[in-house]
Amino acid sequence: MNATDFRTCPVTARRIHRPAETLVKANAVVAVVSLLIGAIAAVLLVLTRWQAVHLLPAEWFYRILGVHGMSMLIFFIIFYEMAVLIFASTALINARIAAPKLGWAAFALMLGGATLVEVIMWAGKADVLFTSYVPLKADPLYYLGIILFAVGALLVCGIFFANLVVARREQTYTGSLPLVVYGAVTAAIIAVITLLHGAAIYIPTFLWSLGLMNVDPQVYRMIWWGLGHSSQQINVAAMVAIWYMLGALTIGAVVLNEKISRSAFVLYILFISMASAHHLLVDPGMGSAWKIVNTSYFMYMAVLASMIHGFTVPAGMELGQRLRGVGTGMFGWLRKAPWGDPGFSSLVFSVVVFGFVGGITGVTIGTEQINIIVHNTLRVPGHFHATVVSGTAMAFMGATYYLIPLVFQRKVAFWGLAKIQPYLFAGGMFIFVMSMTFAGTFGVPRRHWDISFSQAPFDVAFNPAVDVLLAFVALGGIIAATGAFIFVAIAVKSVFFGEPIGTLVPGVAVVGLPQGITNPPVHAADVDRRNEELHAPGQGWLGPAPGTMVLVFVFLAAFIVYFFVNWKVLSFVWKIG
Amino acid sequence: MPEPPVQDDKAIPLGQRLFDNVFLLLIAGILVMAAIYTGWGLWEILTLPPATLP
Amino acid sequence: MLTETHTGLDSPRGNWWKPAHKSERTWVAIAFGWCIVLFAMMPLWQVKGGQNPSGIRRKVEPAAFFARTQEFIKQYQIGDDRGMPIVAPPPGSDIYLTAMSFQWTPILQLEQGKEYILHLSSLDVNHGFSLYPINVNFQVVPGYDYGLRVTPTAAGDFRIICNEFCGIGHHTMVGRVIVVDSTGTVPSQSGGI
Repeated sequence: MNATDFRTCPVTARRIHRPAETLVKANAVVAVVSLLIGAIAAVLLVLTRWQAVHLLPAEWFYRILGVHGMSMLIFFIIFYEMAVLIFASTALINARIAAPKLGWAAFALMLGGATLVEVIMWAGKADVLFTSYVPLKADPLYYLGIILFAVGALLVCGIFFANLVVARREQTYTGSLPLVVYGAVTAAIIAVITLLHGAAIYIPTFLWSLGLMNVDPQVYRMIWWGLGHSSQQINVAAMVAIWYMLGALTIGAVVLNEKISRSAFVLYILFISMASAHHLLVDPGMGSAWKIVNTSYFMYMAVLASMIHGFTVPAGMELGQRLRGVGTGMFGWLRKAPWGDPGFSSLVFSVVVFGFVGGITGVTIGTEQINIIVHNTLRVPGHFHATVVSGTAMAFMGATYYLIPLVFQRKVAFWGLAKIQPYLFAGGMFIFVMSMTFAGTFGVPRRHWDISFSQAPFDVAFNPAVDVLLAFVALGGIIAATGAFIFVAIAVKSVFFGEPIGTLVPGVAVVGLPQGITNPPVHAADVDRRNEELHAPGQGWLGPAPGTMVLVFVFLAAFIVYFFVNWKVLSFVWKIG
Repeated sequence: MPEPPVQDDKAIPLGQRLFDNVFLLLIAGILVMAAIYTGWGLWEILTLPPATLP
Repeated sequence: MLTETHTGLDSPRGNWWKPAHKSERTWVAIAFGWCIVLFAMMPLWQVKGGQNPSGIRRKVEPAAFFARTQEFIKQYQIGDDRGMPIVAPPPGSDIYLTAMSFQWTPILQLEQGKEYILHLSSLDVNHGFSLYPINVNFQVVPGYDYGLRVTPTAAGDFRIICNEFCGIGHHTMVGRVIVVDSTGTVPSQSGGI
């Protein structure tokens, strides 16, 4: 290691290790390319499920559905997460990457594996959808590609932990890891759990596809979901880490209490992966005790964790604003917030839609008995598009508006479009998610080419409302995909052809740079005294963040209503036991 | 295993020290999942009796 | 009780293991209470509720299950619809439904308000049992016999949609369940709500 390997960040004054930064860039670029492939697939899919258009033939619909799932849920998300892991374990704690060459080897494995999977899928040799439930069989190279990708990702997790060890040894920071890095630790641990399950199922399945062994369909479903669902829990942890980061960068959000926020991350580490059972609630293999304990993340400990973050993130933002004297009254901190900063608007949409829509629907439909009226209907993709897309992808997009200047040292291109992109994307996804969820309540199946059942032996007549809802799914999907295309265009233009950020003068706005960079939300020198005042008993039981207290009770009320309405609906169906 | 952090405070509570130990959390995370989800799940599936088809 | 005011990007120094403000503790306590309610509903519904996925769960050879289904058809067949046998088993009996790409065998005719033990399994790949328009969904896994005690609460002409992707003909896989009322007739609407 030599000194020229480092540069000093002009905004945050952190020591940035160039070899680590290059790897962050490479992973982020591949993530964006995957997002592009996934978004194109998304448009083709919604235009097929909109029965009036019904674009793709059946074979291509299922094929593209597989492409969409892999490109988005695995390649886009995990490549971006690898960038987050390397970034958090180096730049955020002034550290170096412990093994840059291994980092590139891991990247090559992931890229090679992902490319192989894409080629096999597009060639029509793996029409088994994202879940590839045995005994549906794909070309062995498909499974091999996933294994290569997973090995690469596991190596990056190893490098992440090695970076932390090296940073501690070289004392690049004092005290405990920053909370954002702690969130990344959580994501990395869940990633290890996820990838171990991936290895445990895809290696036997690869051998099975070669005719070398048997794989039981129920065992496959159980262990596969240890990968399939847990991989989306990596997202949750990474997304929450980004919430804390964007809050700090955009409006100087503070950490209310380290113990509480970190306890929530520890609860994720211990219990959130068990939610893989959500997919197995109406399966024959496991009994009710297993189903109840696992689907509830051991008595809803991970839900408790999310409800904690759902409070501490906005409360930290509120307090950050109040400490800087921005806004008065209950919600002045929100009204006076930088809504034109795409990093900030992305953050707010991500928190709100993830919590109110994704969280509430997810917990409800993941209830053992309620799942009977939900399993494999459109309510399921309705739910996870609210979490993974409106939550995670939106947060990743928001973070990118800061990473472009901070990591790539470029201005954000098409700045006017960048400001409205989060509104377009979140708005489109909201229409999509709500329409899909309501269509699901009519029993419309997910992963289905033709719900007019024109080629089926018996007619099925859906409520006419379903046609309207599916048209809205397409409308929302196209708006959101437009938002995604704009995002890709901004990212590509900025990164490859962007203007350098130049010299920054604090307080002077620059077109192409978010407000948190040109005018960082610095706290005054006497911030501790102000903080003490806001925490004083005279502030009443609503405490230092009264606006957030009100919002979380609105959330809880919505949660309670939705949950019990679903029990009521369940009680109307046939008696089953 | 990393050294305990250099702290400017003498007495760091046990809880904080446990939370700071990322490898302990890694092992705990893997073990809880392996025992409650995967291990128990496999046992449930593999011990199912054969059907009598009455 | 406060540590140095800082953001999530800063390393907290010294002892941060400190109690939170009362408002934050209140929310955590309320959230915890709600989590216990969420949890308690599931065992409670096992005891008090009418809809549970517990069932009688067994391992089975797919061929043996299909043979038992054919024997069941032979025993209780009363007719057919488009070549698919219609079977009217007596209330209280074990009834068999085999899923295969891309059909549900046979058509079941049940009586309203009577209990049956419905056995579900697959001859080939995973299928999804989705009773339309009741919207009751179960996973059908090859090699496993899922026995569910079902009581149709309303008469009608119902459909079984396959809602687990099972191959290129997945969207043509529709089966039929007929529920007759106490007079032995089916309400006229077909598959409607």
